Amino acid sequence: MKRIRKDSLKEVLKEWAAERTVIAPRRTERGECIYDTFDEESFTLDIAKPSSPPKRSLFPQSEVIFQVEQDGYRQVVSGNPTLIFGIRPCDHKGLLQSQSFMSQDLDDPYSRVKSEKTLTVVMACPGSMSPTCFCTTTKSGPWAESGFDIQLYDDGDAFLVEIGSERGSGLVSSNRFEDIDEARANEKIRTFQREAVSLIPVIPEVEDAMERLEVSNQSSDEVWENFGKKCITCGGCSFVCPTCTCFTVSDRVVAAGTGDRIRSWDSCLYAGFTKEASGHNPRRTAALRIKRRHEHKLLYHKDRDHYGGLCTCVGCGRCSDYCPVHIGLIEVAQAICSAQDGTGEEKRYSGGVS
Amino acid sequence: MAGLAATFGSGAMTNSINEMDEAELFFVIGSNTTEQHPLIGSRVINAVERGARLIVVDPRDIPLARYAHMHLRQNIGTDVAVLNGLMNIIIEEGLYDREYVETRTEGFDELKRTVNRYTPRVVEQISGVRAEDLVLVAREYARTGKAMLLYAMGITQHTTGTDNVKTCANLAMLTGHVGRPSTGVNPLRGQNNVQGACDMGGLPVVYTGYQKVGDDPVIQKFKDAWGVGDLDTAPGLTITTMMEAADKGELKALYVMGENPYLSDPDSKHIERALSNLDLLVVQDIFLSETAALADVVLPAACFAEKTGTYTNTERRVQLAYKAIDPPGSARADWEIIQDVCTRAGYPMEYAGPSEIMEEINRVTPSYAGITYPRLETGYGLSWPCPNEEHPGTTYLHKDRFSKGLGTFLPCEFKPMAEPPDTEYNFILTTGRMYFQFHTGTMSRRVGILEREAPEPLVEINPEDARKLGIRDRDLVEITSRRGTVKIKAEVTARVPRKVVFSTFHFHEGPINLLTVSAHDPVSGIPEYKGCAVKIRRCA
Repeated sequence: MKRIRKDSLKEVLKEWAAERTVIAPRRTERGECIYDTFDEESFTLDIAKPSSPPKRSLFPQSEVIFQVEQDGYRQVVSGNPTLIFGIRPCDHKGLLQSQSFMSQDLDDPYSRVKSEKTLTVVMACPGSMSPTCFCTTTKSGPWAESGFDIQLYDDGDAFLVEIGSERGSGLVSSNRFEDIDEARANEKIRTFQREAVSLIPVIPEVEDAMERLEVSNQSSDEVWENFGKKCITCGGCSFVCPTCTCFTVSDRVVAAGTGDRIRSWDSCLYAGFTKEASGHNPRRTAALRIKRRHEHKLLYHKDRDHYGGLCTCVGCGRCSDYCPVHIGLIEVAQAICSAQDGTGEEKRYSGGVS
Repeated sequence: MAGLAATFGSGAMTNSINEMDEAELFFVIGSNTTEQHPLIGSRVINAVERGARLIVVDPRDIPLARYAHMHLRQNIGTDVAVLNGLMNIIIEEGLYDREYVETRTEGFDELKRTVNRYTPRVVEQISGVRAEDLVLVAREYARTGKAMLLYAMGITQHTTGTDNVKTCANLAMLTGHVGRPSTGVNPLRGQNNVQGACDMGGLPVVYTGYQKVGDDPVIQKFKDAWGVGDLDTAPGLTITTMMEAADKGELKALYVMGENPYLSDPDSKHIERALSNLDLLVVQDIFLSETAALADVVLPAACFAEKTGTYTNTERRVQLAYKAIDPPGSARADWEIIQDVCTRAGYPMEYAGPSEIMEEINRVTPSYAGITYPRLETGYGLSWPCPNEEHPGTTYLHKDRFSKGLGTFLPCEFKPMAEPPDTEYNFILTTGRMYFQFHTGTMSRRVGILEREAPEPLVEINPEDARKLGIRDRDLVEITSRRGTVKIKAEVTARVPRKVVFSTFHFHEGPINLLTVSAHDPVSGIPEYKGCAVKIRRCA
């Protein structure tokens, strides 16, 4: 096992950045943490839970996929050698699950090529990063089990470095990474993990809601109606979700005879996403669309690999953090459970160990 | 603007958005809040869920009405009668804030005399709002300590717009709901920087910060600041009067920035005639709008992401936005274009950038004196008034005293709309905006997903009216006013009351302002977009 001192991390990142684009946490002037191209000055280790997951590295908000020229078109598949540093385990699982979804039946070269060229450095969580974290419920944290290149565990003035792939061992070859006793390091990691798990509350309603949807698929209409009535259709939940990958394709004319075909993020909460050419919409109300979105997280995920996760929600809690009217997965799961319990009361999750 | 300025001494949202989290009651009139101010609408919904009360006064069954404890659906254009009726009950039942009225206001006796005539029964006849409901709402609004009144274009876009605003202000003062946290009269502005445009003197009667063009000390101050010998002391024209003047040949040149009056102004045929009558039409915009297509000179402007500058939002908060990318082609920031035009016209301007312009704003505008770039570069903006660089900004206005001293009750009588329906034109057309499009679509209609969500103009018609006219959902219908005809598809929905149809002005394919009336408020010049007489039939 290796270890790296925190004060030499910037030097390591600089070395890594010489060969590839490094995406790393940055502190903005206003104090927010964002993932962006590594910058020595604004680099931060105080990551907590960044407001956006790193999904745009593999699935950009908007991307040219074809260029049309006078007599034909050419596919544009782009991907540069990239390293994403400091991903949280939940977000890392989101990347893996999204890739699994995107490649489940047809090859999606646009995200696949980026994924193949991307190295991931995961930062294990020592506990909840915010009151809405529930990765222990969704089995997607607080550390990554597989699929990463290296994983860091906080050990005071240093990080313990777990190597997850061959490419990962290539990353730690520099002598800045010190060798340490394997057994002792493993013991430290186990202690770290044990403590972390104990600090992250389990939300039993999530699994409960999954079972209820599975067994009866009779979640009370009233639950969805209540959420549908509230939803302001901003689509924000989809955009901050590590596993939401809905997109739309549009054409942009650049000049006569030339243009771009672009794919960009979309949201299943917009009516037009499911509206058919006839005008018929199988998800004609906000209530039905919200139901569908949550079924995709909690119910329809059995047919593909989700890397050991409970479902296709990775428990980052961002939907609960950012929805202006509090329609987050936690609130939805709790509403499904309490409605069927007959209490009819919709609770707001406010953190704390349950 | 004019209504609040007359009553309180300044025209803007009196309170701030965060205060909504503490409010006990919301009185929302003429605002489709969740669709037009979705984040403010969300605050209201969250407040209701934690126990706040919600009263919605709107002819349409807007989404927020689903959360309302009471929804009064007044006849279009009867807001003054409804609000006077509420005050009648509040005075009659002794529910007004006596101490506040005595110490903070003037003109109570006149108010009392006027609203005296608006008994619940009289108001019911005018507005269609049941007398019993009116009583319940009056009591609840008056008795609740932290009651916020929110309004938007449903109040202002009438020939009685200024009266409507004054009457809202009267109601809030009568009950002591001004100058305290989580209360106030809160106009929700319809664009991201319309407050800023007004603050900067984008009105015919004021310089920056509402300093009157005719006041001697103000004139002297600006003469000194700009180094000019003379300044015009006469108020300018409002948009509606500019178009009238152009039509008559009295106005020769028009310089339009970021506006598309050909689609957005009422009675489009009249606008087209007026614009074509000009000797010179200059349009400065980010896209070639319908109006720009008519222009003699088009000046390409930079969009929000291509320029640095400040925006002042609906709660008077000035926020700084940075340039992210270079403007395309020959497009430039508005200030650069204006600077060059002025320089070539013989008044050299040499601002190095937006921050230098802000320094001038700080110097000549007392309410913006402390809102400097260095302060805006950190934090999340500052709300005016902010008189010096140590001042933290103002969350709510009129604490302890109004900007003008005492608040003045300016009672108004109910006046009917300019063009009420008759036997031939037997429907009222009311207009507004929808969630997925913005104004004339110059920007939003270029966005694929927005266009997918709302691709075409629709006219809302009540199911009962539709049945009588043989109109089914999505049938093509012909709507005709005295000024023109528009053919668009019908959306049969109980969202509109009987004998009212609603449509939006986003679509050039169904230019609804061909139909609207140019009759406007005598003070502010706002046209009566919210009501004109039309007839409707199914296209064969």
